[in-house]
Amino acid sequence: MNELHFAHRIRQLLNQGARLQGPVAERLRAARELALERRRGEAAAGTVLAGNVAGRSGFGSLSLRVIVPLVALGVAFAVTYNWEQKQRAKEVEELDALLLTSDLPIDAYLDRGFEAWLKKRASF
Amino acid sequence: MAEKTRLLLAAAAFALLAAGPALAAPPKPGPAWAELSAEHQTVLAPLKDSWEQIVPERRRNWIGVAKRYPKMTSIGQKRVQTRMQRWAALTPEQRKQARENYRRISKVPPEKRGDLKEKWSEYQSLPPQERQNAAPPKKKPVPAK
Repeated sequence: MNELHFAHRIRQLLNQGARLQGPVAERLRAARELALERRRGEAAAGTVLAGNVAGRSGFGSLSLRVIVPLVALGVAFAVTYNWEQKQRAKEVEELDALLLTSDLPIDAYLDRGFEAWLKKRASF
Repeated sequence: MAEKTRLLLAAAAFALLAAGPALAAPPKPGPAWAELSAEHQTVLAPLKDSWEQIVPERRRNWIGVAKRYPKMTSIGQKRVQTRMQRWAALTPEQRKQARENYRRISKVPPEKRGDLKEKWSEYQSLPPQERQNAAPPKKKPVPAK
């Protein structure tokens, strides 16, 4: 039997379909029904459990398990952001106070060459 | 599928709601001159006339400087008084540049940089060409804060 012939035979069998009859078919049907029955039972139990955890305090389909961490995350973000802004503002204030009281006039810090020249002189 | 989308949408809405105040808080109008304490008004007197033109963020910055004022030496206090108007009149970019230069200069060890005032006069006495040569090549301008 060459390969092509073999493939042809398989195709024919598949086209006909498996024609099971008698006790084999009956056993398969019973097993399938049992499996479906069990599946239904599991799904119902799962729904009850989820309902108990979420309670009635969620909004619509949203459970507290989703809302609480999200709100906490948002609040944490807002607090960090504000704190960082304040820190930055403080740093600038500090620097401005130092600059305004410095030995050098403002012009020295505005000059583009002085800082580089000073560094070059310092490295001798 | 629809459930998932709804959950995601709600999640995004909550995140925005919680973080919103930090991101989109309308800038508080800075304190008006009349709202300043008498002490701060005295310290910031040179800025009185231009106070209304100063943006809120800068006003708060000046109040921060005024709070530090009592701790400054008398020379420092005098310097602040004379430099205040000039500093306020600079552009944000100029102030940023000056702060950066200040940071860099203060990083040079004092024993190496010597007396800064002397160095500044020495630098100023250099011919303009030489001073220009000292400047690093112009970089692309960085957006100021």
